[in-house]
Amino acid sequence: MTTLETTIAMTNTKLPRPQPAAPREYPVVDAIRAGEGFTPEIHEEILEQDSVVQISGFSLWYGQSRALFDISMPIPRGKVTALVGPSGCGKSTLLRSVNRLNDLVEGVRVQGDISLNGEPVYGPSVDVIDLRKRLGMVFQKPNPFPMSIFENVIYPLRIDGEKRRRVLEDACKNALQKAALLDEVADRLHESATALSGGQQQRLCIARAIVAEPEVLLLDEPCSALDPIATLRIEDLIREIAESYTVLIVTHNMQQATRVSEATAFMYLGRLVEFGPTEQIFQTPRLAETEDYVTGRFG
Amino acid sequence: MSDITPIIQSKLSTESGRRRRPTSLAAHGEPAVWLMGASLTLSLMMIAGLLSLIAYDGFRAFWPREIQRIELASGEVVLGEPIRTETFTPTEAPTEERERTLYRVGNRDTSQASFRWVEQPQVATASTPDDVVLVERIAWGPWLGELERMERVTADGSVEVLSEGHEQTLSELSEQLPLAKQRLAEIESLQRSVIDRANKQREAWRLRVAVANRQLADTDTAVRGLSKGVWTPVLAAGLGSLAAGWAGRKKRWAVVAWCAAGLLLVGAWVEQPTAGIAMTAERVEQIKSDSSQAERELVERTSEAEARIAALVAANDEVRVLIREPRTGRVAPTSVSKVDDPLRVAQVVRVVPANELSLAQKWGVYLSRWREYLTDDPREANTEGGVWPVIFGTVVLTILLSLAVVPLGVIAAIYLREYAKQGVITSVLRIAINNLAGVPSIVYGVFGLGFFCYTLGAYVDSGPVEPLPRMPWWLMAAGLGVVVSTSVLMAASGRRASTLGSTASSRWLQRGAGIGWLSSVVLIVVLGSTTPYFHGFFADRAAENIPTFRSKGILWASLTLALLTLPVVIVATEEAIAAVPGSSRQGSYGCGASRWQTIRRIVLPGAMPGIMTGAILAMARGAGEVAPLMLVGAVKLSPDLPFDQTAPYIHLDRSFMHLGFHIFDLGYQSPDPEASRPLVWVTTLLLVAIVFALNSSAMLLRARLRKRMGGPVV
Repeated sequence: MTTLETTIAMTNTKLPRPQPAAPREYPVVDAIRAGEGFTPEIHEEILEQDSVVQISGFSLWYGQSRALFDISMPIPRGKVTALVGPSGCGKSTLLRSVNRLNDLVEGVRVQGDISLNGEPVYGPSVDVIDLRKRLGMVFQKPNPFPMSIFENVIYPLRIDGEKRRRVLEDACKNALQKAALLDEVADRLHESATALSGGQQQRLCIARAIVAEPEVLLLDEPCSALDPIATLRIEDLIREIAESYTVLIVTHNMQQATRVSEATAFMYLGRLVEFGPTEQIFQTPRLAETEDYVTGRFG
Repeated sequence: MSDITPIIQSKLSTESGRRRRPTSLAAHGEPAVWLMGASLTLSLMMIAGLLSLIAYDGFRAFWPREIQRIELASGEVVLGEPIRTETFTPTEAPTEERERTLYRVGNRDTSQASFRWVEQPQVATASTPDDVVLVERIAWGPWLGELERMERVTADGSVEVLSEGHEQTLSELSEQLPLAKQRLAEIESLQRSVIDRANKQREAWRLRVAVANRQLADTDTAVRGLSKGVWTPVLAAGLGSLAAGWAGRKKRWAVVAWCAAGLLLVGAWVEQPTAGIAMTAERVEQIKSDSSQAERELVERTSEAEARIAALVAANDEVRVLIREPRTGRVAPTSVSKVDDPLRVAQVVRVVPANELSLAQKWGVYLSRWREYLTDDPREANTEGGVWPVIFGTVVLTILLSLAVVPLGVIAAIYLREYAKQGVITSVLRIAINNLAGVPSIVYGVFGLGFFCYTLGAYVDSGPVEPLPRMPWWLMAAGLGVVVSTSVLMAASGRRASTLGSTASSRWLQRGAGIGWLSSVVLIVVLGSTTPYFHGFFADRAAENIPTFRSKGILWASLTLALLTLPVVIVATEEAIAAVPGSSRQGSYGCGASRWQTIRRIVLPGAMPGIMTGAILAMARGAGEVAPLMLVGAVKLSPDLPFDQTAPYIHLDRSFMHLGFHIFDLGYQSPDPEASRPLVWVTTLLLVAIVFALNSSAMLLRARLRKRMGGPVV
């Protein structure tokens, strides 16, 4: 052991140390740290587009601690929008606020509003169940239910009270087709879904999310638990699905954001920092924080 | 090797020169492993020892033993099956050690005891002759002797010898015995299908006459119900509010209207003007004449069966078998009071010429004894015969208990885990439930007897002890209606208002609804226990002082055991529910499922194997429990099963026999403990086997569930 450790230590010393970056000014971060207000940089191209979800002045508290600070942004219709940012910056919280999954957490409080196709999400007369049926959600870890593949896919229809066998079967085939899973599972639709591989399970979850034809698809780091090949397949799938759905995706992976999304929002410490078309965010960002984050020097 | 040596050396000392010690056995945990292995081995040995003792003695009990013919020094000749041999120190010679053997000598009618110790020095000769038999009789235990002859004595006194000597009699018996048994079976079935049924009808008619007479004497049960002038508006108001509820646009007011409609319509139905018709002397006379008419028909119907039974009994009475014991030279008597009247063939269960049996024949005897044991009713104070009613009672009890405990426990656990706000109250509840599991079972027995048998049973039999007058009762019912509709409204508006950042008002609404549900449950219980309209399902029998449910019974026993095992099910279910991964729930909510849909479709199926485990534990505990059963239902002898062919087919009011109690009864309450000893082993074996069978079938079911779910199959 000791010899091995020594070897490792010696190898390490021989590696070129990364050159310390030139100290840069971070005006936005400084403003946040100082508790001053700032205006997030939202590119005009985004504002010009038609939006399906409109977030306006939205803040969220978990008990005493505030997770989201006054976020206002549109989600462009028919596009893939990526939410990026360091861990704990509130990406997932924001995503879960859209379908009110945060309601399940004890002691959550919100301010401001989100609207879905013009209807308020947080209004007093909103039925949360109906709202969630209009949105599809895919989680970080594949979470197939312990039932057959068929039952998994049509779960949203079942809880909606759909009983016609024909309709269910067609919807299942359709959704699996769209999720590029049909060919692999066509002959074992009635076997347990938990026997599928991780990547297949995640595609199954995507099929489940789109079977009820939602207005927006919410993806919460859908590839973070998958191997690179499965990840690529899912990314292809997201691009295909984007032709017919609006997709909001949270990701940790910068390359993934450039590969799948058309718009990217950078979040930091619970605030929206910069939001624009993906190529602009990655190539010509307007803020130093964004540039350093997407190039891996910050955050 | 030499390459490695420097490395090993370098491992033995550090840079600062401190020598590293070689890892000791203690550090490797070797003694701990040994200790753990030893204690595991010890536990397994004890369990294996217990089980193999039960299996050995249980399986051996029915094997035919050899019959010895012993001539004692005194000239006495004893026939007996040797049971066991031991050395002992006789009181008259404290320094000596002698050997003695216990023989089953049977023949309880001529000698006082059916077991006898024979000291070795007294034995002159011992042999195992072929021509001795062990005769198992329906009454008075076994008889050991020599087959002499069989004869038929007809009614006019003429005697026809059917066979003579051992061989001939044995073969003649194998013909006559089945015939006699057939006749016995026919008598039995006639008894059950004709005579017993007729007696039940007689009893029903007698009750009907008694009730009519009582009603005639009791002027209170005259016409009740509302006058038409009051009743019509009540009915109209009921229909009106029903229509209003139907047409009402606001859902919440429709709920109120429906509550009111239900109350008014039920009231109108119960209090209808035609309710209750006064008993008149003419009607009593009519019932009496109907009764005597029915009695004539019954006599007509049963006389045929009775004649047939008499003929069969007479036929069985004709064939006799003479089995002589060498000790006194007497033959086996037909009854103790008629010592010279030989045994009837119909009184014989089985003849075992034990010494001349081949191995196959011994197996035949062995299996036929097992068959008798498993399918027959007990005889001779449970020391002989079978245990069919006992097995049946145990299994039915266990099934009823799990039917009662599983739904109740699962529902309670779901509420506790999924709906109740986790806090001080739920923690206290959990502690209380866990403590309930530790309450001695006899306490449950006492509670079951007091509450189920004497309180609930009395209610089922004859209705509330002190019913409220009609007016206050209806006022209370209206109060219940108000509470229920208020709770519905509060729950509805509380749920609607409970969006994010739930307001104080919504919390109060939900709390109010909760209190409303609780008080409505209390009100329903109070209303039920004071209703003036329910007079019990067995009021007629109760009035004659014949209890139906107001006594020990299998229903109350299983409910008592359900209460006893409830904590087991609740705890197991709660754990299983908590083990359902949060990601599945989140996924379900994300698909737009409500909390209830998530519970029904995701949580419960996922928790099912765990729930089954709880049910298995509850069943095993329930099946093996004895103490509370002695108080609430298990009896020494009850050949009537809880299910049979007489209406209403299911008799949950009947007391029953239970294997655990049966073992206690055989071992400690038997008039002849030595005779019932083998049966104690067999019954223990059977109880262990039944518990094992119940457990393994439940485990199989659980494994299949898990396989379907795709989880681990253990």
